[in-house]
Amino acid sequence: MPELTISRRGLLAGSALLLASTALPTIGFAQTPKKGGRLVLAADSEPRNLNPAIVASNGVFFISSKIVETLAEASFDGKDGLQPRLALSWEGAADGLSVTFKLRDGIKWHDGMPFTSADVAFSALQIWKPLQNLGRTVFKDLAAVDTPDELTAIFKFAKPTPFQLIRNALPALSSVVPKHLYEVGKIEENPANNAPVGTGPFKFAEYKAGQYYRLTRNDAYWGKDEPYLDEIVYQVLPDRTSAAAALEAEEIQLAAFSAVPLADLDRISKVPGLKVITKGYEGLTYQLVVEINHRRKELADLKVRQAIAHAIDKDFVVKTVFLGYAATATGPVPKNDPQFYTAEVPTYPFDVAKANALLDEAGYKRADDGKRFALKLLPAPYFNETKQFGDYLRQALAAIGIDAQIVNNDSAAHIKAVYTDHAFDLAVGPPVFRGDPAISTTILVQSGIPDGVPFSNQGGYKNADLDALIVKASETLDTSARTGLYKEFQKKVATDLPLINVAEWSFISVARDTVGNIANNPRWAVSNWADTYLES
Amino acid sequence: MTRALVLLRRRLVGSVFVLLIVVIGSFLLLEAAPGDAVDAYIVSTGGDAGMIELLRHRWGLDQSELTRLANYLWALLHLDLGQSVTFSRPIREIILERLPTTLILMGSATALSFGLGSALGIYAGARPGSFRDRFLSIGSLALYAVPGFWLGLVLIVVFAVDLRWLPIGGIETIASGKTGFSRAADIAVHLALPVSALGFIYLALYLRMMRAGMAEAWRQDFVLAARARGLPRQRIVLAHVARNALLPLVTMLGLQSAQMLGGSVVIESVFAVPGLGRLAQEAVAGRDTPLLLGIILVSSVLVIVINLAVDLAYAFLDPRVGAGEASA
Amino acid sequence: MKRLPHLFRSPEAIAGALILALLAAMALAAPLLFPGDPQAIAGPALLPPFQDWSLPLGTDRLGRDVLAELFHGARTSLAVGLAAAAAALLIGALVGTLAGFAGGLVDEVLMRITDAFQTVPSFLLALAFVSIVGPSLGVVVAAIALSAWTGPARVARAEVLSIRERDYVAGARVIGMHPLEIAFREVLPNALPPVLALSSVIVAAAILTEAALSFLGLGDPNRVTWGGMIAEGRTVLRTAPFLSIVPGVALVLTVLGVYLAGEGVVESTAMRRSLS
Repeated sequence: MPELTISRRGLLAGSALLLASTALPTIGFAQTPKKGGRLVLAADSEPRNLNPAIVASNGVFFISSKIVETLAEASFDGKDGLQPRLALSWEGAADGLSVTFKLRDGIKWHDGMPFTSADVAFSALQIWKPLQNLGRTVFKDLAAVDTPDELTAIFKFAKPTPFQLIRNALPALSSVVPKHLYEVGKIEENPANNAPVGTGPFKFAEYKAGQYYRLTRNDAYWGKDEPYLDEIVYQVLPDRTSAAAALEAEEIQLAAFSAVPLADLDRISKVPGLKVITKGYEGLTYQLVVEINHRRKELADLKVRQAIAHAIDKDFVVKTVFLGYAATATGPVPKNDPQFYTAEVPTYPFDVAKANALLDEAGYKRADDGKRFALKLLPAPYFNETKQFGDYLRQALAAIGIDAQIVNNDSAAHIKAVYTDHAFDLAVGPPVFRGDPAISTTILVQSGIPDGVPFSNQGGYKNADLDALIVKASETLDTSARTGLYKEFQKKVATDLPLINVAEWSFISVARDTVGNIANNPRWAVSNWADTYLES
Repeated sequence: MTRALVLLRRRLVGSVFVLLIVVIGSFLLLEAAPGDAVDAYIVSTGGDAGMIELLRHRWGLDQSELTRLANYLWALLHLDLGQSVTFSRPIREIILERLPTTLILMGSATALSFGLGSALGIYAGARPGSFRDRFLSIGSLALYAVPGFWLGLVLIVVFAVDLRWLPIGGIETIASGKTGFSRAADIAVHLALPVSALGFIYLALYLRMMRAGMAEAWRQDFVLAARARGLPRQRIVLAHVARNALLPLVTMLGLQSAQMLGGSVVIESVFAVPGLGRLAQEAVAGRDTPLLLGIILVSSVLVIVINLAVDLAYAFLDPRVGAGEASA
Repeated sequence: MKRLPHLFRSPEAIAGALILALLAAMALAAPLLFPGDPQAIAGPALLPPFQDWSLPLGTDRLGRDVLAELFHGARTSLAVGLAAAAAALLIGALVGTLAGFAGGLVDEVLMRITDAFQTVPSFLLALAFVSIVGPSLGVVVAAIALSAWTGPARVARAEVLSIRERDYVAGARVIGMHPLEIAFREVLPNALPPVLALSSVIVAAAILTEAALSFLGLGDPNRVTWGGMIAEGRTVLRTAPFLSIVPGVALVLTVLGVYLAGEGVVESTAMRRSLS
């Protein structure tokens, strides 16, 4: 089968090109969208709480972003990478103490009530700030929301808050839910959390546990002629191999979030009628990170961390684990981020000899059996790729005399072991970069975070310089000064290696040729799909 | 019929103890688990320490283990299985929703393996030691040796993707609005592959048991007598040999039910069948202790009821069985 | 040596014994033929079989030698099967003997516990146990044993019940042996053969259960097992089917071999019993 080898090489070259093109604006679709039809797609998990204002996560957005809208959505070509949704404009005051949103006129909730600034104020103060997983950090200083009229909402902050941060947070953190449904009773127990009511192009119709979610067209949607689809059905397919089979059997028309395993993409791209799309996830970058427990005396030694960084062949990881559908990482901000990324950081080229020398220097000589010391390695179980990288890392460490034993856990046990019990030496984690380092990235290296906070620095790392830098950046209002501080942040992290960034990846969609207007914004899979259509 | 009643009463009393052991044992086992429902939930969301505390409190996970066990047992007395933390719905409701699917799947798979297995067993056992006997016996064993998930995946590739005769999974066509007979037919089509995967695996048990029973029966006096009388071979096979060999298979039905339930965990996940088995897997992954307890409890009740029915049927079929020994 | 002719009476038993012999040879030869870590990366990823003669069966997703994994997998799969069966038989024999010999309340309690274990679907129990304690080879073995000991316990109890009234047991009582001593020195050895006859079924079930647990992501990541290989190969089932077919065939043959050989042994002992 020599063809296989050739095509794999071809695939690698092709995907490298695709990755390079992620910063380019989207390709316009020449065809005019058709109306009607039911889009059936694969869903691999079943979020129970569908309220994106409380649970800001991609699993929830995937379904509820079609029902509940945000103030603004990410965009390839809009100003500051944004396009208006419920808000038409946003303006930050120079003192960083207020942000003014002008809202779109004439929007109605799915139950017919008008959408007003009171809904925004309620969502921000009663839900985002106190209850939302991400909003609790970003909106912690939000003191009040003034509503001078029905179409203006002015966010007032108790402490200066960078407008850049608020702006970057809009696509993921600003889902607005109806005040009139949520103001009675406890917000967490509101029935609308399971059957959301929003302003979006689609209405929630039904959920059959273990089978499907069904959304239907919102005839009163504010977008002209939108939405095009009559229905969206999420078919629950828990087994990771079944999405590809369902696509081929024409039972579903779309599999997003890499529901089709990477290794199957080359084959499936040759199936007539199916297309593989690598775009539309630029705003949802996952980072492959080696988390380090600095309580281990060997790992507290910078030389050892440097040795580990040199022992990892990042190109091999991208080529083999991710089959080319990823990019190597240099630091804590992904390369495809348009605002903050800097390449001017220390790098650690793959060099086993140097790694061995560093370990010798550090005083960890090889024993007679060739081993220097043993480690416990915990790969996060949420992705195939994190597990496979764990297998690779074990081998890479073996090459420099570090004997790593892998501990496999399911998700709950992994979270407990790493973030609460600190029962790990090295862990493989997939943190998400959410468009601004202050949302969920600086927390990975900052000290003083209480035990048990997942996806945070639980490795006992403490660096006063870095902590000071993080605090300073969070208070800096000027956009370019703030950006400069985060470049400094990247340099410091890459120098001191509190953790090791290995690669960055996004997801892949596979769709029937008949599905139009796919991947036309950087968060496409979790955007509202008002303009998505089906040909015939 | 009094004998059956005595049997029933003895069994019911015993079953209560068995269920109590099951509940307390499972509860203690699950309490030992690292990570709770909040840890499992937080995987997909993230959140700070305050939020985690908030969730633990809301889901009642900040109470002591003993309090929760006592609460659980007390609620159980009222046939209340409690509230699922991940579904935030009453567990009884969730389980009742999923139970019919699993019952249909198990029932059909059992019927398939029992029916086809015993038929092939008769066919094989009619001529012990013949080529067809050996072939069927080894062939069915080979099927039994195939991991269920692997058989399922292959069936999907062949019959759903390549041939497109059957759907790849699920229980019925999504939001089709079908009712009555056409819905039943739709469900039958969807369950064809999972039932085959589950049924073919256990085929060997019945086939081989039937065959062994027949081999035994051929040596019995009444069969020898029948042969001496010159009865047609086919009639001897069906009326004398197979009939006597069939009885032990009925006991097997009961013993098999727990295994079938276990096997359906994997099969339901491969074929995306929304049944009890997959629910169990979700409950384990979500550390939804009350839900998993509920599932284990319901499965145990199911197994007990099936075995009881089998024993009653057996007592009915075979008058030699006394009420006394059935409880051992 | 006198039992061998009995054992090899049927071609099935011969085939089973041959498969097991081959398997044992593979398991023993693994460290000699493939020294070092079988999980080490040996070549380019997803190399198909019969392309490169230094890697005859090709490589997996990370470029590990499939043949080396297959050999080392034979070791672990056999070890899991045998260890789980041994543990299940041990627990079962102990519980069964105690219950049968003590009778009364002890019997009642032990048998209700056995009932409880038997009513919970064994795979569900194994799944919960492994996901709670954490997947390592020992835990997987314990989980399988935990759900497989009830069969041996029942058989052992039934045997003990029939043996305990026999003359030599009564004799032991008369000379004042401690009841536990009687139970484990006089009764258990005689009750053992029918219990041991269950071992092939348990070994086979153990290998299959390990595979199913691996499929659900609950295998030991530091060891190669066939179940783990199939589970890993299934994500590339369509692109590189050999990755799951090779260990799959090995697994089916092994389970088949265990069964056939086990049956051969049972039949030959039955034959000897009926002859004597």
